[in-house]
Amino acid sequence: MPPPKTAKGEYIETDTGNKISRRSQIHGTQHIILGGKTVIQAEAVIRGDLFRTATLPTDPNNASAAAAPNPSTPSVAITVGRYSYISKSAILRPPSRLHRGIHSFYPLKIGDHVFVGEGAVVEAASLGNHVHVGKGAAVGSMAIIKDYAYVLDGAVVPPGMVVPSWCIVGGRPARIVGEVGEGYGVEGAEGGMARERYRVVGRT
Amino acid sequence: MSRPFPYTYISCPCADTPVPDPARKRRSRESPQKSPQKPPPERANTDQDKKLSAKEEEQGEDEDEEQTFDPRSPRSNFSLYPPEQLLYCEECHQIKCPRCITEEIVSWYCPSCLFETPSSMVRSDGNRCGRNCFNCPVCTAPLAVSTIENATGNAPQQGPWVLSCGYCLWTTLDIGIKFDKPTNIRSQLQKMTDSTPPAALDRSRQASRTFEDLKHPLSSYASIDEQSNARERDGEQAAPKEDQGAPPMGMDARFAALKNFYRTQISETSNSPNDHLSSEFGFSSPGALNRLMSLYASSSRLSGLYGGSKKPKSKPPVMREALTASEGLQVASENSETDMIARLQSPECGWDGMASIDQRATQSPDARFIDDLLPLPVLLRTKRAKRCKSCKHILVKPESKPQSTRFRIRLIALSYIPLPTLRPLAPSSSSALPAMAPTSDLNSLPPLRPIHILLTLKNHMFDPVRITLATPPVTPGRVATKVTVLSPQFEIGANSDVWDEALQGASAPLTSDSRSAALRGVPEAGKVWDKGRNWTTVVLEVVPGTLPGSSAEGGDGNPNTETNDEDVLAVAASRQDEDVLEIPVFVHMDWDADAQLDQQNVGKGSKPDDKVTRELAYWMVLGVGRIQPSL
Ligand SMILES: [Zn+2]
Ligand SMILES: [Zn+2]
Ligand SMILES: [Zn+2]
Ligand SMILES: [Zn+2]
Repeated sequence: MPPPKTAKGEYIETDTGNKISRRSQIHGTQHIILGGKTVIQAEAVIRGDLFRTATLPTDPNNASAAAAPNPSTPSVAITVGRYSYISKSAILRPPSRLHRGIHSFYPLKIGDHVFVGEGAVVEAASLGNHVHVGKGAAVGSMAIIKDYAYVLDGAVVPPGMVVPSWCIVGGRPARIVGEVGEGYGVEGAEGGMARERYRVVGRT
Repeated sequence: MSRPFPYTYISCPCADTPVPDPARKRRSRESPQKSPQKPPPERANTDQDKKLSAKEEEQGEDEDEEQTFDPRSPRSNFSLYPPEQLLYCEECHQIKCPRCITEEIVSWYCPSCLFETPSSMVRSDGNRCGRNCFNCPVCTAPLAVSTIENATGNAPQQGPWVLSCGYCLWTTLDIGIKFDKPTNIRSQLQKMTDSTPPAALDRSRQASRTFEDLKHPLSSYASIDEQSNARERDGEQAAPKEDQGAPPMGMDARFAALKNFYRTQISETSNSPNDHLSSEFGFSSPGALNRLMSLYASSSRLSGLYGGSKKPKSKPPVMREALTASEGLQVASENSETDMIARLQSPECGWDGMASIDQRATQSPDARFIDDLLPLPVLLRTKRAKRCKSCKHILVKPESKPQSTRFRIRLIALSYIPLPTLRPLAPSSSSALPAMAPTSDLNSLPPLRPIHILLTLKNHMFDPVRITLATPPVTPGRVATKVTVLSPQFEIGANSDVWDEALQGASAPLTSDSRSAALRGVPEAGKVWDKGRNWTTVVLEVVPGTLPGSSAEGGDGNPNTETNDEDVLAVAASRQDEDVLEIPVFVHMDWDADAQLDQQNVGKGSKPDDKVTRELAYWMVLGVGRIQPSL
């Protein structure tokens, strides 16, 4: 079945070329930095409202109500690099950790040319450049995914896991199951499709 | 990792050397006396060939394989690779797949802490991280070092510490292990689990030394009986003491004790005093070999033949086995098996209390229950250099630092062969082909409805290349899909300055989607669809065949598709995923390269301006989509 045709003007294009679906849910925009030419698709949820504050909200669900108590020091919750792509229904959520009895949020950093698949949930500390997160995958809190790593569809990367560059992880919990080829990330080939992906977004 | 449609795979020519030419076999059959020449591959699409290939469907499978690459053949699994996984050897001028290279380890690193382990330490650390990296023995997720006293926030850096799994919530407390410090966990753990009494090791060394004293270099009584007798007497005295005193050793300690024991045995039982040195190098050392040879030689006629001396009458010294716990001997307890069975049956163990086979595979052989499982230090990974198997030239050499993603050398195939990308041509409203199917969903292609596929080849070389594509008119297998390349011969421009494209506003192939379709109108035979600085797009007209047994199967279906294959496996493999439409395409490329890189070729095909014509040919498989069972 062909997907329903996107309504005209589905995407808002910012000055730096980010294409953001009007049907995405972005919370706490002042705590989110998009590097430009990034795509955020419909129904994606980006939780910029979950950032570190002096007085921490204990319940993350009520965090938006307690957000921005001190606007003079805007802390960054989520950074996304250039040509990254957040698919439909994906969730970006800053990682959190219980540290000395206090539950606090840490920033989520996403690099350039990153792909986050449909319905994936990302709570990593960082996703490097050219990282691929497959459809329906979950990247646990404080995980570190290095450049050119590949998370297979449906994988569950456990909290705190480090995935080295060029490695493919899959399974629940995710393990390293292989490596991508040396040509991975070459422009236009597997891992190097970010520019093409960006260009076709919003064209009807 | 299966890929979503559309995809392209490239077959490494190593699977069938020399590279099969689709028309060669045909030609040779027509005139068996003539030596097979190299006909133009585009002939594969002529009418004559269509008839021929229909006939050939009846021929044996082996002949089919030699002619047209069959993506469904079980052998194809071993030669098809995604383009980015292939390398290229500049010496052999050939594509290289993981089967035609050898690997060398550049560095070892821990995938968890990303620290490099020097090669001298790799062996002693057992190929595992010597720091604080552990995997959960229950679920394999990484373990985190955390303090139990987390709740009391005002007491930083206070233990005790545990390893805990963030995935299945297992902690070392489950097996009753806590750590005093959050550092050097591995050695702390080793101390706890091994419980190696250092005295035991010393004792064994002492015992061996006394033995050495016993065995005078000149004495000839060092026979096996005397030795073992002496040792037994010795052991009887020592054993009861040890059994009571020392707790049973852990696996590693026992291994160390046994290793130590055998090392001393080798040195003690060697004939020449020089052999003592050899013990450091183990069994494979020349000394050990010498000892073995003399062992056999002394008892054979050969000694009489060559040496002739009557001297070696004494029995050669023979190694004995470990006899005490300190030497690494572990006596099986009488009741251990019945105890284990009783425990398995007990209600507090149950199914959940037993370790699974997967869990036991990475643990000591004694581990049977969940409580026996120990945290696993993380296995190291390697960064590897890759060499061409045939000419030994290095094709890939990564920087040794674990965190670096750079390469010193990286000869990937995509720098040489054109990068193929596939895309269905969206039917334009003014299309002259009313039968054109909507191509939006590649997972259900309607049979017998022609579709147009755009194949873009992008050249990464600094020389323009000439390409000739050939496809079998009908795809191999039971589902006969008709394929026609509308313009099989074309050129691709050189990959000149990248900045040119950037400044020109980057008209990359995939952007000119429907816009250009409307501009370009209808695909025409003999005309390339689109062309850019270093890429060319051509159109493939594809008429998906009907699946066997489907309602749409009619007179158009190939009557010869019933296979008489002997190989049941091959049939099973071919029937699975039969609806997947994969098109084999033979690519022949040639280009004029600079000759200076290798002088020996200048004489052959040299051109006036120091150019050499190179050619490369390979099969490529285009994964177009899945065919619907019926219309
Ligand atoms: Zn190969
Ligand atoms: Zn480590
Ligand atoms: Zn676990
Ligand atoms: Zn070579």
